[in-house]
Amino acid sequence: MIGVLMFAAALVLLLFGFPVAFTFGGVALIFGVFSEGMDMFAFMPFRIMSIMQNTVMMAIPLFIFMGLVLQKTRLAEQLLESMGTLFGRVRGGIAISTILVGALLAASTGVVGASVVAMGLISLPVMLKYKYDKRLACGTICASGTLGQIIPPSIILIILGDVMGIPVGDLFQAAVGPGFILIAVYIIYILVYTWLNPDAAPAMPVDDSIDRKALYFKAIKAIVPPLALILVVLGSIFAGIATPTESAALGGVGAVFLALFYGQFSFKMVYDSGIETVKVTAMVFAILLGATAFSMAFSYTGGEEVVEEVLLSLPGEKWGFLFLSMLVILVLGFFIDFVEISFIIVPILVPIAEILGINMTWFAILIAMNLQTSFLTPPFGFSLFYLKGVAPEGVSTMDIYKGVMPFIVLQVLVLMLLLFFPEFMGFES
Amino acid sequence: MSSTSAPLLMRLENGLNWISDRLGSISALIFLLLLINVFYDVFARYLLNDVSIGLQEMEWHLFAAMFLLGVPFTLRVDGHVRVDLIYERLSPNGRAWIDLAGTLIFLLPFCLLVAWFGLDFAKEAYELGEGSGDPGGLSNRWIIKAAIPVSFGFMAVSGMGLLLNSVNTLLGYHKPIYHKTEL
Amino acid sequence: LSVLAAPAMAAEKVYKLKMAEGWPTNFPIFGDSPRNMAKMAEEMSNGRLKITIDSANKHKAPLAIFDMVKGGQYDMGHTASYYWKGKDPNTLFFTTMPFGMTAPEQYAWFYFGGGMELMEKVYKRHRMLSFPGGNTGVQMGGWFRKEINSVDDLKGLKMRIPGFAGEVLAELGAKPTNIATGELYTSLERNTIDALEWVGPSLDLRMGFHKIAPYYYTGWHEPATELQFLINERSWKKLPKDLQEILRVAMRTAAYDMYIQSTHASGENWATMTQEYPNIQVKRFPTEVIEAMRTANDKLLKEKAEANPVAKEIIESQAQYLKQVRAWTNIADKQYLDSIAGE
Ligand code: NA
Ligand code: NA
Repeated sequence: MIGVLMFAAALVLLLFGFPVAFTFGGVALIFGVFSEGMDMFAFMPFRIMSIMQNTVMMAIPLFIFMGLVLQKTRLAEQLLESMGTLFGRVRGGIAISTILVGALLAASTGVVGASVVAMGLISLPVMLKYKYDKRLACGTICASGTLGQIIPPSIILIILGDVMGIPVGDLFQAAVGPGFILIAVYIIYILVYTWLNPDAAPAMPVDDSIDRKALYFKAIKAIVPPLALILVVLGSIFAGIATPTESAALGGVGAVFLALFYGQFSFKMVYDSGIETVKVTAMVFAILLGATAFSMAFSYTGGEEVVEEVLLSLPGEKWGFLFLSMLVILVLGFFIDFVEISFIIVPILVPIAEILGINMTWFAILIAMNLQTSFLTPPFGFSLFYLKGVAPEGVSTMDIYKGVMPFIVLQVLVLMLLLFFPEFMGFES
Repeated sequence: MSSTSAPLLMRLENGLNWISDRLGSISALIFLLLLINVFYDVFARYLLNDVSIGLQEMEWHLFAAMFLLGVPFTLRVDGHVRVDLIYERLSPNGRAWIDLAGTLIFLLPFCLLVAWFGLDFAKEAYELGEGSGDPGGLSNRWIIKAAIPVSFGFMAVSGMGLLLNSVNTLLGYHKPIYHKTEL
Repeated sequence: LSVLAAPAMAAEKVYKLKMAEGWPTNFPIFGDSPRNMAKMAEEMSNGRLKITIDSANKHKAPLAIFDMVKGGQYDMGHTASYYWKGKDPNTLFFTTMPFGMTAPEQYAWFYFGGGMELMEKVYKRHRMLSFPGGNTGVQMGGWFRKEINSVDDLKGLKMRIPGFAGEVLAELGAKPTNIATGELYTSLERNTIDALEWVGPSLDLRMGFHKIAPYYYTGWHEPATELQFLINERSWKKLPKDLQEILRVAMRTAAYDMYIQSTHASGENWATMTQEYPNIQVKRFPTEVIEAMRTANDKLLKEKAEANPVAKEIIESQAQYLKQVRAWTNIADKQYLDSIAGE
């Protein structure tokens, strides 16, 4: 019961606008101490330590740094502009480029915070510069940033594999199809939307005085270096040179070398990027620190048992179970980090799913897609927080909220497709 | 921006801000070390076929120190995300009241309590002489464990800065720290 | 009347203990042991002893159970002693040692050869008690992407192998490497590392390593991994004598149950693996390699004994006991298996 009250209190108190991280911490403190006494907070150092030792999360600052260097040296801008040019008269070219770059980044990291923040730094300013609709821009970034959830390698799939006892390789394989479908659906949406609303995403101005060939040549020249960098990051993983986490450092160092190559290097630029990296990383991790306090208070005051009771009272047939479990995950995803959900909720679901004879790999992909959606749902999707943290002045919270709405609808549609037509995605239901 | 009428509170706020800003610089330097550290480890493993568990462990030490010291700094520059649907429409004084109350009710008790338990946590590691259990790992685990109480202690310091910022706003000395506006 | 009623009332008091386990929720075998134990203790005590178990998913600190039990945040823990070697080097010896005893030999050492007394001596300092918590049996030497034919093949071998066994291999020029559990599969698949050790078929099957590494080497470094029940001394002393005894019996039974369950699961999973992947090649390290490992192992043990008198005492106790009991194992179990093996 206290767990439920905590959720309600957090919901109201967050709206006052005090920083999210400390509101989470404060609510945890009030409810935790009230119900269990001060001593419960003796667990906090242990929980913080487990975040400190989570080396997979190291990818977050490293990718943020790469994004910042690419941004400060305007290399990212050139990349996206040139890709936009290549799309010629097609409207929404930069948005489509953002999706594609986001997908590439997703294939190199599995940490959503890292890719949303990096894409926010790299492409939001460019889209705003070319007079894109703010909402479309924000939605595109959040959606393409969360692709890292589903496109392998992905942390969530690794965790789910562990929790559900499925080989990670199988999950990675199974996620490729749904990942590609999402990318395609996003791109189709942008094409249709910009066709209906031409002002939302103007095509790149084409300079007719320049010969087409020269134009393409110029564009390719600008695209190659930063794209090569991303391919180096990806390639280093596939060649076994680096783990996905380490590849992020190769990207950061590579970006500095690119800057050197283009004569944009200065120690001040590197230091400033360092400071910005600290700011954005601290923003992300402060939320994780607050959230771990929140979920600690939630589970030690019996919240876990309440959820378990609800889940165990689910109807004993496949569709009711699938529907309700998806709903519960979606709702909890508003507040609780996906790692905590996988740890707390999924173990309760697994035995029931097994009894109902549900294909576990399929179930895991459904959960991963669902968690990906919960990253995007206002008011408390983590991706929204992350983008807000790096958005330039003039982009309001409301812009982000409204911007992600259509993408949430698209994700739910793909989730439904996966739910009702598993054969279509290569699963036996 | 009057500096004569309330020099004490303003000077105090500026003093706390100075501390938080230094944490930001330290944190940025630690991050650059982390970048070099990880890059070197990949380089050494792949090209020199050499692996050092100590250097591998140094990665998470630097990573942890970096974000832990970064949190108080980010608080001082108002980099922590707010759900600002209501907040951004409030008057400067309205915002100051929320920051004042939030700091007193949420931030300070939370940070001080975690810092307090963090002290015990680090002390235990120090008394045991705890180190890594892996071959060639780092010793003196208490140092990185002490980063927890240090970080949360400094969060409280930055929180005091935010508190003073709110008080000074309410007293009319300056505008509040929050400055994101609609275009 | 009141004189008679008082002890009867006292006897009805329910004692509640909170236990932290080092494994995630629903973790097979390892997680069954503490649950069996708690169930037996509750039933044997007629409900007077209730033990609740928090998995690592809840407390988030599998590698700090030592601290949490010592600090009293939990009354008990289910984990393994060698995880604490960074906190107290003498805790290393109560799980398993390279070239050490097999499970029955080691249980004999614990309960009849002075092992329990030595363990008590080590944990007393930390105001905790430790009991055997279940055995995995012989652990496999690991999954390798390349064959090991000589000591030279170990030079520069990047292998995920933590703890003391890693130190032994490092002596021979191998490169023990830290990789996050979640990145292990990918790292092995893409040759970021050359080899890794996990447990044995009982738990390796679900990790899927057999799909990406052809050689499965037999064990040498963890012949009898014994888990551990840790108890905070104050929580233990609060229990009346009869409940202490019930707890003791429940732990000992659960530990043995886990040993046979591991044997069962390994047999079952090994059959599955070989059925699905008939190409897995089971390999034995060549004698030359084993001897080099043994020499390195002895050298490191000697260093540990010289550095710490309690370590010396434990190492000597284990060595002496092994010498005696192994002579018997060799003419009993080993001869039996060899003589009936045929071709
Ligand atoms: Na990914
Ligand atoms: Na092992």
